[in-house]
Amino acid sequence: MKTTTSSLSAFGDSSIQTPSKSRIRQGCHSAGPNVSGDHINLVSSSMPSFPILQRSSEEKILYSDRLTLERQKLTVCPIIDGEEHLRLLNFQHNFITRIQNISNLQRLIFLDLYDNQIEEISGLSTLRSLRVLLLGKNRIKKISNLENLKSLDVLDLHGNQISKIENVSHLCDLRVLNLARNLLSHVDNLNGLDSLTELNLRHNQITFVRDVDNLPCLQRLFLSFNNISTFESVCCLADSTSLSDITFDGNPIAQESWYKHTILQNMMQLRQLDMKRITEEERRMASVIAKKEEEKKRESQKQSLLKEKKRLTINNVARKWDLQQHRVTSIAANQDRKDSDSPSQDPCQVDGSTISAFPEETGSLDSALSNALQGLSVTDTHLVEVDGDTLSLYGSGALESLDRNWSVQTAGMVTTVSFTFIEFDEIVQVLPKLKIKFPNSLHLKFKETNLVMLQQFNALAQLRRIDQLTIDPQGNPVVSFTLWKYYVLFRLSHFSMQKINGTEVTQNDMIMAERLFGILAHVASSELPQYRLISILGDARKKQFRYLLETKGKKPGVVSEENNDSKRLVGENTNRATLNYTTRDFYNEKLEEIKEKKKFCKMYIEDLVKEATEINMKNEALQKLWPQMFIELVRDAVIEIRNKSSYMKLCLQQITDQK
Amino acid sequence: MATERAGTWLPEAGKLELGSCCGPRMLSPERLALTDYEYLAQRHVLTYMEDAVCQLLENKEDISQYGIARFFTEYFNSVCQGTHILFREFSFIQATPHNRASFLRAFWRCFRTVGKNGDLLTMKEYHCLLQLLCPDFPLELTQKAARIVLMDDAMDCLMSFSDFLFAFQIQFYYSEFLESVAAIYQDLLSGKNPNTVIVPTSSSGQHRQRPALGEASMLEGVEASLFYQCLENLCDRHKYSCPPPALVKEVLSNVQRLTFYGFLVALSKHHGINQALGALPDKGDLMHDPAMDEELERLVVRSRLHRTSRQHRAQEPGTFGFHRRDKLEAPERVPSASAPTPSPYRWEPRE
Repeated sequence: MKTTTSSLSAFGDSSIQTPSKSRIRQGCHSAGPNVSGDHINLVSSSMPSFPILQRSSEEKILYSDRLTLERQKLTVCPIIDGEEHLRLLNFQHNFITRIQNISNLQRLIFLDLYDNQIEEISGLSTLRSLRVLLLGKNRIKKISNLENLKSLDVLDLHGNQISKIENVSHLCDLRVLNLARNLLSHVDNLNGLDSLTELNLRHNQITFVRDVDNLPCLQRLFLSFNNISTFESVCCLADSTSLSDITFDGNPIAQESWYKHTILQNMMQLRQLDMKRITEEERRMASVIAKKEEEKKRESQKQSLLKEKKRLTINNVARKWDLQQHRVTSIAANQDRKDSDSPSQDPCQVDGSTISAFPEETGSLDSALSNALQGLSVTDTHLVEVDGDTLSLYGSGALESLDRNWSVQTAGMVTTVSFTFIEFDEIVQVLPKLKIKFPNSLHLKFKETNLVMLQQFNALAQLRRIDQLTIDPQGNPVVSFTLWKYYVLFRLSHFSMQKINGTEVTQNDMIMAERLFGILAHVASSELPQYRLISILGDARKKQFRYLLETKGKKPGVVSEENNDSKRLVGENTNRATLNYTTRDFYNEKLEEIKEKKKFCKMYIEDLVKEATEINMKNEALQKLWPQMFIELVRDAVIEIRNKSSYMKLCLQQITDQK
Repeated sequence: MATERAGTWLPEAGKLELGSCCGPRMLSPERLALTDYEYLAQRHVLTYMEDAVCQLLENKEDISQYGIARFFTEYFNSVCQGTHILFREFSFIQATPHNRASFLRAFWRCFRTVGKNGDLLTMKEYHCLLQLLCPDFPLELTQKAARIVLMDDAMDCLMSFSDFLFAFQIQFYYSEFLESVAAIYQDLLSGKNPNTVIVPTSSSGQHRQRPALGEASMLEGVEASLFYQCLENLCDRHKYSCPPPALVKEVLSNVQRLTFYGFLVALSKHHGINQALGALPDKGDLMHDPAMDEELERLVVRSRLHRTSRQHRAQEPGTFGFHRRDKLEAPERVPSASAPTPSPYRWEPRE
């Protein structure tokens, strides 16, 4: 009888190799094979299904403790009589469906049922001395009925249909557990296996592993060809101090770029990974990479936190804006966000990449992302952000940031300035500051800034230069006008803008703009009285204009070549320079101031008129009375002169009286 | 362009002397029948005087440099020419009929090109254009004018330049008159006048924009002749300017019944009233202004030349080192706070 080596690999004691001289005769079907070898006889018993095994006494003496019945085409376990000393029993490669008729073999240490058709573990309850149980390649669906096998050393259940590890907690002497090629989807319930050294879980469908740190002696763990994809699902392995050998090949995790160094970094106790020895170099590399990843993760967390803050701030500003614009009538009473006035602001830091400037915050930024978010209370009412070449301002409070000390490099790099949720009238007031602090700003963007009148564009003329203008329709009603682009091109023609709202400005656009509004410019410059021109333009332009007006002929029709040149030199748009924009508030203020003067003027004119009418009355009265008076004068004179001598006396008298 | 309303006298330096000029009209009996103040008020002389002195006060530093006499000359010249209302506040523009007419004319001249271009604009946009000339022009007036054009319907509709302009003329120039007319109309509509005669309405008169509603039971508007009687009374006692009664009669004689807005539309489209006002040319000539067109062409040509020449010039740096930048070049040095604010034309080479 030949016995092949069982499928165990490492097995404590002696292997079982009992070469036997005997042959096996092929027999075969049905209930009881009738094999009669030289030494073994299986004869039918009184019970129709179970054959009875008999051995010759010679055999019994020679191999008193071992019995091999492999490849005997057994479909049932035969009754084994008179072999109570048996210690090794081999039923490999049969068709046995149930473990039976061995309860009397209470000295059994080694039972090999590899490659049978057993569907359930049973019939082992009396085998208290059993140390090796080989049930590989059967049809077992559940681990059960092992309660009394407390001395079990090796349990081999590979190639079955087991889906759950259970009922093994009492096997405190178990050193090797083989559950490869089963249907396990996860690993847990491993407590109690205090001696387990090797656990083979290859070729299952395991997605996560737990409780391995409860195995104090586990050294080798084979998880090849499972379904593990993250380290988190096997994180308990990191806590197992005894593990020295582990395999993960054939898992999705092994394909990941971070696989090796993550495993090495988290399991410093390992000596072999995937059957390859781990070198010092590898360990060092792993720790370096892991550190870098940690860094990156922290960084990205910080970034997302900042981004979230920014988003919340912008939402807050937007809400405030809507309230201001009376779009939102009700103020939400229960908000878990507090609105407070913006506290002191951090100075801006330059590091080349995204810079965000937020006011001081009470929460700490170092905590984990979720924690930090919960702790966030939106205290910002505005937001200032510089991102490479774009300066973004949200909320009217942001305009104050233009007063800050911007570093020359940052300020010089800014080419785009974007205003959102700020009243245009407020922006107008800081345009001079913008001109100075950010001289390279070429592109202005306006969104939700309440641009309602074409006139407001006049205010942009004071800037140094604009190449591009973007007016977002949202919050800017002016965009709904048909002529707004042409007006912008007309009024800001000296900038020679390239793009408006993303579309290129063509020569035709410029000409159309000039056609539509050119007369307005002409009227605004040439038909205004000079004093008005000067008062509108202010001192700075006075000289230019005087120069212009002096060289220009008084007759508008005659324009000489020289005048053309001079006009071109000084600046084309002096003829539209009078088109200004004063914010509504300023305008009303001015009108208020004028009221006093008007009152005075009224009174003054009234006085003049009174005087004039009095004089007129007197004049008229004189006109009426004059003829009469004239006649009387003449009559008096004639009467006087009538008597020459007395007249002469009178005159002399008058002369002496005078002295 | 000159109107007959402003006086033709020239002011002497400093002080006015009334009656110092002569001419047949000056001594006409009607004029002499008025007292001084009445005459002044009728001609709005004081308004202009007060305004002139006020302007003088506001700009005294600038004006003192070239003399008060010259200032007054310029001022009253501009009043004659109708340019005194440019960029002035609304209260001044509204103050006298001459101001209003000048404003209408200025608006026409400045934005005729918009109309010529054929663009149809909304009421808000026209209001914007008005605001370009008068920053605090009230929206209600523009809205009322738009209502005339649109017959109180769909205020967001687009309007043509000529429609709007003529309606605006009526609304702005005769605004007080129109208010009284509206009141009269309401009275008549609610039947306060005992002489109301209900006559079945005929179909649309030639001056109406759209046909009258409800020929069956709903009688729209008021009877024309009755309406005219009330208006005649109004014109007689109204101290504000009114359209010539004869022309009003003409408007009303062509229809039997009409609505308020129908009446306004008829007024706005009536050539005679337009001519009587004298601010705007006839509808047919509305887009016609050869002198301005010439000037415009010159401007366009100049701007075209300028643009191309600037593009050439932009290749070399200007004398002050400022030239067209693209992203590759180094950023400009930020000037220190103590440096004077550079003028925007600094980069133009000067000769």
